[in-house]
Amino acid sequence: MLISYSNAPVPVRDDIVAAHERAWNRIARAGAWFDGKTRLAIAAETRHAANCALCARRKESVSPYGIAGQHDTLGALPERLVEQIHRIVTDPGRLTRGWFDSLMASGTPDTEYVETVGVVATVVAIDTFCRAIGVPLHPLPAPQNGAPHQRRPRTARQRGEAWVAMIHPKDLEGELDSAEEQSLASYWGGVPANIRRALSLVPEEAYEWFRLVEVQYLPGKAMRDFANEYRAITHAQIELVAGRVSVLNQCFY
Amino acid sequence: MLRASSQAKGESFDLGLILGKPGDGNIPHGGLLVGFADAVLGTDDRCLADTQASIRAAMGDAALVDAAAIVATFNAIDRVADATGIPIEPAKAQSTADIRAALGINTFAESRGEVAGSRGYAPAA
Repeated sequence: MLISYSNAPVPVRDDIVAAHERAWNRIARAGAWFDGKTRLAIAAETRHAANCALCARRKESVSPYGIAGQHDTLGALPERLVEQIHRIVTDPGRLTRGWFDSLMASGTPDTEYVETVGVVATVVAIDTFCRAIGVPLHPLPAPQNGAPHQRRPRTARQRGEAWVAMIHPKDLEGELDSAEEQSLASYWGGVPANIRRALSLVPEEAYEWFRLVEVQYLPGKAMRDFANEYRAITHAQIELVAGRVSVLNQCFY
Repeated sequence: MLRASSQAKGESFDLGLILGKPGDGNIPHGGLLVGFADAVLGTDDRCLADTQASIRAAMGDAALVDAAAIVATFNAIDRVADATGIPIEPAKAQSTADIRAALGINTFAESRGEVAGSRGYAPAA
């Protein structure tokens, strides 16, 4: 077991423990575009970003885009990837399309960009949970052998909806040529909100990320089932907390 | 979703609470939960410990776990949304236009970076 909450001050639901275990295992394995070692380097850099002096100066600045310098980095990843990770971690509310385009121009493939977002989000979610219940962060796992499959879903297209190419549910009808697209079609089972499509350029990041979300938050049907409560806090309390976090993060999606 | 929940139950919540308005906003323990979100994303570990203890005392251990899971989820979901540049769905934008205006969210969004004391995500050593 990679994840244990046996020493937590409060009992943690079994489904949360299982979801965190699954997510931690995934970080250590090869993904679509990165091997396990690189995914773990992304995870480690995600944690390290909070200590970056350049990011701190940018965060304090009226605009982060006028502050040049070098990131404080663990040194395992190229600078363009470090820039992506650090900005998403430390100042997500002020990311712009121009910033995204500059990363693409610097040589980051859009597929690698999306997979990186998935790893960063997973680490942020689990680390934040640990802080919130008052337990130390889990050690990162050891990398597992294996190579990324490097299959780009043909159904993912840039339609001017978002910065990244995404899969539209209608494109998942009919024959699909990758196992990842088939899994995504099965998982979506309809027309999902844009947030569920956001990582669909790397389909397994999209559905695995939301497997974690549904455990920590609510499964899709339960979200709108206001006649029943599924957690120890009510729908209203859940959405209040969610809304407050989004305000603090300056996220207005 | 908060509004949908409110409408479904025929209740009236003060949505200003999510912008830091004092009180409970007609949501049980609303002020405590907002304080918890602030503390988790903040830098004051003593404040966080006090808030955790208050939630356990007032709402129970399971409530702390579930509130923690929500803070954790949205601290990450916000980053996915911001990093991928996804737009709000037209129907959702339309249905929340009045709320966004009332809360000053559109103005707030244009002047990003003005929330004091938020570190967003900074893992403990």
